[in-house]
Amino acid sequence: MEKRDKIRMTKKIKVLLSKLGLDVHNRGIIIVAKVLSSAGMEVVYLGNALPEEIISVAIQEDVDVVGVSSLGGAHISLGMPLLKEAEEKELKGKVIFLMGGVFPPSDGERLREIGFDGVFLPGTTRDQIVSGIERLVG
Amino acid sequence: MNERAKTTKKILHEKLSGQKSTPLYSLEALKSIRQTVDQWMNSIVPEKDRKNWSTTHRTVLGSDIPRELLYTPLSNPDLDYQQDLGNSGQEPFTRGVHASMYRGREFTMRQLTGFGSPEETNQRIKFMLDHGATGLNVLFDLPTIQMYDSDDPFSRGQVGMSGVCVDSVEDMARLFKDVPLDEVTISIVTHYPSNTAILFPMFLALAEERGIPWENLRGSVQNDITLEELIRSGSEYIPPKDCFRLQCDNIEFIRKNVPQWNFITLNGYNLREFGTSAITEMAVAVSNGIEILDELVRRGYDVDSTADRLSFFWSAANDFFEEIARVRAVRRLWYKIMKHRFNAKNPRAMLMRCHIQTSGVCLIQEEPRNNIIRAAYHALAAVLGGAQSLHVDSYDEAYSVPTEEAALLSLRTQQVLQKETGVTDVVDPLGGSFYLEALTNEIENRILDEVDEIEGLGGYVRAIESGEVYGKVASYFTEQQRLIENGEIALVGQNIYRSEVEGPPINVFRYPEGVEERQRSRLQKLRLNRDSEKVGSALGALKDACLKGKNILPYSVDCARVRCTEGELFKVFKDAFGLWKPPALF
Repeated sequence: MEKRDKIRMTKKIKVLLSKLGLDVHNRGIIIVAKVLSSAGMEVVYLGNALPEEIISVAIQEDVDVVGVSSLGGAHISLGMPLLKEAEEKELKGKVIFLMGGVFPPSDGERLREIGFDGVFLPGTTRDQIVSGIERLVG
Repeated sequence: MNERAKTTKKILHEKLSGQKSTPLYSLEALKSIRQTVDQWMNSIVPEKDRKNWSTTHRTVLGSDIPRELLYTPLSNPDLDYQQDLGNSGQEPFTRGVHASMYRGREFTMRQLTGFGSPEETNQRIKFMLDHGATGLNVLFDLPTIQMYDSDDPFSRGQVGMSGVCVDSVEDMARLFKDVPLDEVTISIVTHYPSNTAILFPMFLALAEERGIPWENLRGSVQNDITLEELIRSGSEYIPPKDCFRLQCDNIEFIRKNVPQWNFITLNGYNLREFGTSAITEMAVAVSNGIEILDELVRRGYDVDSTADRLSFFWSAANDFFEEIARVRAVRRLWYKIMKHRFNAKNPRAMLMRCHIQTSGVCLIQEEPRNNIIRAAYHALAAVLGGAQSLHVDSYDEAYSVPTEEAALLSLRTQQVLQKETGVTDVVDPLGGSFYLEALTNEIENRILDEVDEIEGLGGYVRAIESGEVYGKVASYFTEQQRLIENGEIALVGQNIYRSEVEGPPINVFRYPEGVEERQRSRLQKLRLNRDSEKVGSALGALKDACLKGKNILPYSVDCARVRCTEGELFKVFKDAFGLWKPPALF
């Protein structure tokens, strides 16, 4: 707790949020954006973007966290290239990668194997997301 | 001129306030009912219920309209049978659009279908038809909806997901192989005006190649600006005013050339699923309908021969009686708007015909089999409300698109309703219920109030451009999330009665593999084999039509004939109209 307070005093957590690919379902990520802003984080919302663009904006904006949303089935087929690109640009390990959306729950494990640091399924509460991010960054 | 300066609400108020009425209840009867109700309330009703006479039950996507403990004739003392209800198939159509409703024509069982390649969806279509589906409802994949070709960098990893991929008329042919286009009614879910103007021409070109006259085609497209400019999340948008023009171009062309086709489905469903209330869903679709008819009148058409092909698309969510009342309420409101604002004479032009889909947002991942029960209640409400056709969401949709087993279960839900329960024997069976009629009135008033709000903002297109509608919706869904998390909205298995033991797992649909590669090589072949000179000139003519304000549809049909791809046409739109940046999202 103490440690977390210190971090938050020195620097606001900066989060890049993006819809992954062409997926049209954006209600969830907008709620997450609002929730993170009101929890005191700095949020950059990119809209819809491909892995390369997401990584390049993450570098430009010097973010701590990249959160992507997928409800259209491409969580793995675009999630993999995203983390590959992160690896190539040496972001992996420095930036936290999160995935949220609708997919078979068993794919959560697969996403972690690919390299996502956190996976949020439907039913995750706002508090769980905020504290999850704080824990991962802290 | 002056009429148009007035809002719809004002016009209706002026035209309807002086109407002579014949209330069902006499003053004497009401007086004596008042006495017994007062007595009952003071002697029998427990004090706590007297205090909390009205309560507001929070539900997923609900209206938050307070409900009383008991409804009596006093809840609706002026009820006038002819004016407020009428017989089915007669003004004001509250009780239904057809005189004999489901006895005359059963509701169409129209399940959404679409995934993978055109061949795979074709097989699922045949499976559903073989099992008694009476209509088709074809859904496209993300790249097709967003108007990128399967080999576009934007499409990578998403081809054949959430729907079927279609790049050109040749895919359309594969999709409908051995499906008699002139015998089944086909709903082509082209959400946006832009992709309607691209994909429907491919369907028309296919009919032409099979020798089927366009006059024989029956079905619908969606063609709704709400989906393209308000609730879509995409990379590139054309400006709302151009999108609205395409919406009207589609309508104008289809009305003239494909006379049995429903040229627009005013879509409340997806807006509501995006996260808005029972009321806003309908107010937005009605506002769009009003603006479209104004534009068509401006283009020289009369409403009697245009509004008769408008159709609506609603969702059915958790608040059972509200869902029934809503459909009745908007049917009556639309009638009033057509009759008194647009002075329609053709009764068909006053009908609010609708397709209803059960709500997907109301389905949850925990204990997924419970979703079967939820969807069945939603479906029952839709039928009691008088829907013309129905889609029942599958219980596994909180995970992925439905498996064949789950899709069949949805169809069976409809068939059980239609053949076993007897609910279709009697028209509007709940009509006259003190509760339902009071709720119907309240909802109608609230929809009209929100239509008035939108008109006050300068009309629907203006309200999209400024982000006002968006803001209203976003604050609603953020609040809904809060209510779910604090338990005010109850979700069985998630925030109440949560099970400690995990139930048996369900089968989850997996997308077929290799679709993207196959589409890529198909596109390559297509580009090699087509007449590139014809392609170039067809696209050139389309751009010219876009720029000169001509109806673009004849040109996009030409494009489809010479095998232009979807992405090529979208590029023309982007070049001609430029790109628009939607207002900030949060």
